[in-house]
Amino acid sequence: MGVTCVAQVPVAEGKSVQQTVELLTRKLELLGAEKQGTFCVDCETYHTAASTISSQGQTGKLMYVMHNSEYPLSCFALFENGPCLIADANFDTLMVKLKGFFQNAKANKIESRGTRYQYCDFLVKVGTVTMGPSARGISVEVEYCPCVIANDCWNLLMEFMQSFMGTHTPGIPSVFGTKHDSIYSPADTMVQYMELFNKIRKQQQVPVAGIR
Amino acid sequence: MAEGVLSPGVNLEAFSQAIAAIQALRSSVTRVFDCLKDGMRNKETLEGREKGFVAAFQESLHSVSRDLGELERLSNLVGKPSENHPLHNSGLLSLDPVQDKTPLYSQLLQAYKWSNKLQYHAGLASGLLNQQSLKRSANQMGVSAKRRPKAQPTTLVLPPQYVDDVINRIDRMFPEMSIQLSRPNGTSAMLLVTLGKVLKVIVVMRSLFIDRTIVKGYNENVYTEDGKVGYCISSNIKFYFYLVTDHATTALLHYQLPQMPDVVVRSFMTWLRSYIKLFQAPCQRCGKFLQDGLPPTWRDFRTLEAFHDTCRQ
Repeated sequence: MGVTCVAQVPVAEGKSVQQTVELLTRKLELLGAEKQGTFCVDCETYHTAASTISSQGQTGKLMYVMHNSEYPLSCFALFENGPCLIADANFDTLMVKLKGFFQNAKANKIESRGTRYQYCDFLVKVGTVTMGPSARGISVEVEYCPCVIANDCWNLLMEFMQSFMGTHTPGIPSVFGTKHDSIYSPADTMVQYMELFNKIRKQQQVPVAGIR
Repeated sequence: MAEGVLSPGVNLEAFSQAIAAIQALRSSVTRVFDCLKDGMRNKETLEGREKGFVAAFQESLHSVSRDLGELERLSNLVGKPSENHPLHNSGLLSLDPVQDKTPLYSQLLQAYKWSNKLQYHAGLASGLLNQQSLKRSANQMGVSAKRRPKAQPTTLVLPPQYVDDVINRIDRMFPEMSIQLSRPNGTSAMLLVTLGKVLKVIVVMRSLFIDRTIVKGYNENVYTEDGKVGYCISSNIKFYFYLVTDHATTALLHYQLPQMPDVVVRSFMTWLRSYIKLFQAPCQRCGKFLQDGLPPTWRDFRTLEAFHDTCRQ
């Protein structure tokens, strides 16, 4: 487990999502990266049930339950800006039992699937973000395995990302800023995915709302 | 030179006379034996026979002693060859009259000259090479070969308490580096050096000599199943730490000073500490972080600056 940066790559002009992903993977392969199977990150949204809101006088908070194929035995539960819980995979069945407090918003399920590449000590995962049946965007995850301190290797990560993402290289992720000198953990990666998914959901909602 | 060996004229004359005297002596000795062989001549009376034989024998013996006396007199005249020639007997080669066919003497002189030069240059060279005696190979050289058997027992057999002290002192010197000492296999110490949150290094010691180093990632497991520090586990993060291990091995070969092993350990640790900026320091030559997917893994032994493995030359 090293330091990871998750970013969104915009769809190239005049190209489909699939074509843009192919463009990216071809660049990676030219660089010398090796294909190593596939990966999947999914995210389910839970609303706080109406009964609890009224009794405690709080506004509804969203909770996200996520899975990552890199950590197949774990399940991540996150609140926006809030704590992140890492639990065993059967946490999902617990959520079914907590139906009275948390309700699953099925339509909001979003996931990113794609290919996993290795280049020296870097792991690169290029995925297509889908919500329901439609492809909504492209996610790129870059992990540098030898390092555990996010801020130590940010410049190095950025240089690597520039080599295949060019002008779409992202800025420093917000989780890096709060880490200081503490050790990077898988939960930080999931927070980045959660932020990315939220961003993609909002992007898509705006034009849809405009049509209505 | 010939004059010094044999005085000409008189002595050469004496030589030929002496040779003639030797010949005379030999013939007179032969006559004595002839006389004895022939025995008594056939004479009328026994008395006459005996008398004749004794007279002849006496006469021949006289001539022998006379010739011997003459030879002794001449041998004094000849004198001895002088013995204070610089090349001793080989100097006599210069007397050879046929120089052109067998130029032995001039060749001999050349050989002497070359051997003198060789000795001189060898002396200079050994003086120069001894100035580099900090290197490992210096021990194999002539002068320090005598010193070696003395130095080895003192530095190889150090009490464990002393080793602990030296390591503790180094541990206190570098706040960002923690050194954990254990002795999992007998008396040899094994150090687990944790450098910031960057990497872990397993250092196998033999007394105060560093025997082997293995570099691992900060988040990698360094313990074997029974809780000891394991030096056989290789790094999972193959590219990067494999290279650093390589460089660390180079470093421990570079820092060698058999007489002061604690200085060696200290300078090795100082060098190792420069890896604290492992992921933050760009290459001092090309200014980049990555080359072929690898960060600058090499640290210069003197300046401790970061370089890519391929940029360091």
